This record gives sequence, structure tokens and C-alpha cells, in this order.
Amino acid sequence: MSNEIKSVCEKRNFEIIFKTHSKAIRNFIYYKCGDIQQAEDLTQEAFIKLWDNCAKVIFDKAKSFLFTVANNAFLNEVAHKKVVLKHQAVLYKESTNITPEFILEEQEFMVKLKTSISSLPVKQREVFLLSRMEKKKYKEIAEITGISIKAVEKRMSLALMTLRKTIGDI
Amino acid sequence: MRKENLNNNFLARWVSEELTSAELEEFKKSKDYSIYKRINESSQLLEGPDYNKDKVFENVLEEINTKTQTRVRKFIPNIFYKVAASAVILFGILYFLNNTTTTYATAYGEQLKVTLPDNSRVHLNSNSELKFDKSNWKDNRKVSLKGEAFFEVEKGSDFSVETTEGSIDVLGTKFIVISQKKYIEVQCYEGKVRVSSNKTQTILNPTNAFRAIDTASETWNFTNQNPTWLQGESSFTNTPLKQVISALENQFETQFNLNNIDANKRFTGSFTHSDIKLALKTVFVPMKISFTFKGENSVVLDKTK
Repeated sequence: MSNEIKSVCEKRNFEIIFKTHSKAIRNFIYYKCGDIQQAEDLTQEAFIKLWDNCAKVIFDKAKSFLFTVANNAFLNEVAHKKVVLKHQAVLYKESTNITPEFILEEQEFMVKLKTSISSLPVKQREVFLLSRMEKKKYKEIAEITGISIKAVEKRMSLALMTLRKTIGDI
Repeated sequence: MRKENLNNNFLARWVSEELTSAELEEFKKSKDYSIYKRINESSQLLEGPDYNKDKVFENVLEEINTKTQTRVRKFIPNIFYKVAASAVILFGILYFLNNTTTTYATAYGEQLKVTLPDNSRVHLNSNSELKFDKSNWKDNRKVSLKGEAFFEVEKGSDFSVETTEGSIDVLGTKFIVISQKKYIEVQCYEGKVRVSSNKTQTILNPTNAFRAIDTASETWNFTNQNPTWLQGESSFTNTPLKQVISALENQFETQFNLNNIDANKRFTGSFTHSDIKLALKTVFVPMKISFTFKGENSVVLDKTK
């Protein structure tokens, strides 16, 4: 860690910030609204705003600045769409044991899971996806969404229970 | 179980692997464990829609660049506006200094005496308009006229009157110009007047008069010393009735319905400006035309039976 203060106004540093956080911000907004175009537009706007304010924002605080700006901008937008998720191909360790029925069942479960996540309340959905898909710690999620860690945990638990309920028994 | 899950955020802690081993063992025994495990594992395989990081970054850079450019550019328009505003003000001032076009107009039944910069005088009869440019008046004595006016022009450079139906050039004289639609009449009281109308030029000496109706023109002589309308009476010499009625209209602000009469008949005589009934009588009785007032400002003319 260098003691040098990195200036956000420097193109190089700005690009680093972009490469590190832009996807997370895009996804964060997307989990809220389900509109890719809107999510990318807001991400873009957040970074432009960061550039405009580059002299006032410290390098280390850029991330929370970006999330706050994106989150606030989102609050002004109204349109909500259903979140459409993709899933990675499941890697089966013991490939020999796999039957076609199992693969089919697995795919069905994934579809069910995605639909259930899509219909989660927005507050639960964003916490759940930030945690599971973005692999963010509760502390981080709390910073991004501006709520307490306890509240994040509560939303997470609620999300899991809602999913459990909608998916039902297998 | 459910209530408990919620109360101490059991599930949340389980997901983030914060449960004690005892808690975990307990949870593994519950019938819900397998499905929760599956939800947790599968959801970690999920992905958001494709994200083209480079493209978004390109957009951001582009936006930033145009922004900085417009910041620079803005400066130019600002100056441009200032220049434009100054120019407008400057031209406005110049316009007021230079815009020396003066207009005089009379309403129905009104007369106006105008003195031009060289002391030439113009008497405007009713419902007429006179325009002239004050600048460079000495070398360019030019007025434009709609309606009827009596000019007393001081000696000097060429004095010209522009009308839609022709122009009148003089040096120093007194004359009347009557300019109506497709009609021009000029009466010369003093000096010499040159009338150019319909590509023909006519020189008028004192007591000569000229008129052009459409394409036909005629000249005649008159006897009065001054235009009679300066004394509150309009007089006509063999004038088309149409023009006489037009003079009546201008004088009394009245509309005449000519549908039933022959307006091309000629009229010689005069009418007073002081009494509309008397004026109409003096014009129409000799022409064997009856007139009926319809409302305040409208008169219907008819042949007398």
C-alpha cells in the first residue's frame, strides 16, 4: 500500500475504479429494477458524476460514492421490471453418476429458483443477490444499501424463507 | 423453527457460515436443511445478464469527453451571445438614429397638415398615409402616399411622390395627389408637375389635372385656386362615381353598397364635410341615385325609380 494519495481525477485511477466496481454497481441496480438498459445507464451516470466530483472524492471512498449515487438515482426512477437471471453450467464432480433424469430435475429446479428470486420483494432480492451472486459480506451490503447489518441479515433470512416457501418441497 | 430463524437471523448466519458447529449439526437434522442447502448452492451459480464492461467504460469516457468539450465550447457561445446582444443594441441605436422614416396617417374624416424638413407642406385628407425618410432629405425629397394629399413644395431638388399607381416629380410647386386602388389623380396648382403612370409621362401646368383609371388616362383644366377640401368641401370634375364614393367613405367612415348602381358614371360637383346627409344629397340626387341608411355606418345605394 502506497502512502501516496491516489487522485480520482487521474484517468488511470479512474479506470481502476471503473474496472473494480462497475459490474457490481450495474448488477446492484439490475437486481433492483430488472432493466439492463436502465442499470447500465445509471452506472454510467454514477461514474460520470464521480468524474465531475473527482476532486472531492477520495480514492478509497469512490466505491461508496458510486453506490450511493447509483442508489439515489435509482430512487428517482420508477420503472420496475422482472429480474432475469442466467445460471452457469453446473459442474458435476462425479460425472459418472449423473442420469438424464437428474440433469432434467436440476434444470427444473434452477428455473424454479430463478422465478422465485424474480418475484422476491425488491428489498429481500437485492440483499439476497448481493450476498449470493456478488459474494458480498453483510457489512458491505449494509454500506451499499444504507441499512444496518442486522437489517441486512434479517432481509437475508426473510429472503431464504420466502424462497423456501415458493419453491416448496422437492 | 421459522420464528426462530427470523429472530436470531439464523438462516443469514448459516449462509455466511457463522453458525456454531452445534447449531449447524442441529440444523442439518431438520427436514428443511436439504432444500435450504440446495437454494444456497444453486443461487451461487446464478449470474446477472452479460455485462460489456469495456463498452460501458467507452460510453463513460465519451460522455466525459463531450462534457469537457462542451465546457470549452460553451465559452464561445457565451461570447457569441454577448457579441450578438451588443450588435442588437448597437443596431438598435443606429436604427433609431438612422431610422428616420416618418409616417403620418389620418383617420376617417380627419385632416392633417404636415411640414416637411425643408418647409414644404403637405395637407393630408381623410384616411390617408404619408411616409418619408428624414435622413438626407435635402438631396432626396421623396415621399410615399396612400390616399389624398395637397402638396406645397418649396423650391429645391427634385421632389417626388411615390404611389402604387405612379410617381409625381416636381421642382417646387403646389399640387394635389389622390392615390387610390387603380386610380391616381393629380391636380397642379403652381409650377410644373411631371406625372409618370402606366409608362407614360404627363407634364402638368397650373390648373391642369390628370387622372389615370386602370390603364386609361385623361387630363382636364380646373379653376379653383386652392383645393376645396382645405375649406371643408370636396369637389370633383368629371370624376368616376367610384372615386367620389371612396372620398365619401374616407370622409364619413361609412360603407356604401354599390351593387345596384353604375359606379363608372362621372360626377362633377362637390360635397360638404360638415353634414353627411347633405353631402349624400348633393352627390346622389343629381346622379338619380337613392340612398338608404342601413345601421350606423352603412348606406345602400339604388337607382331612383
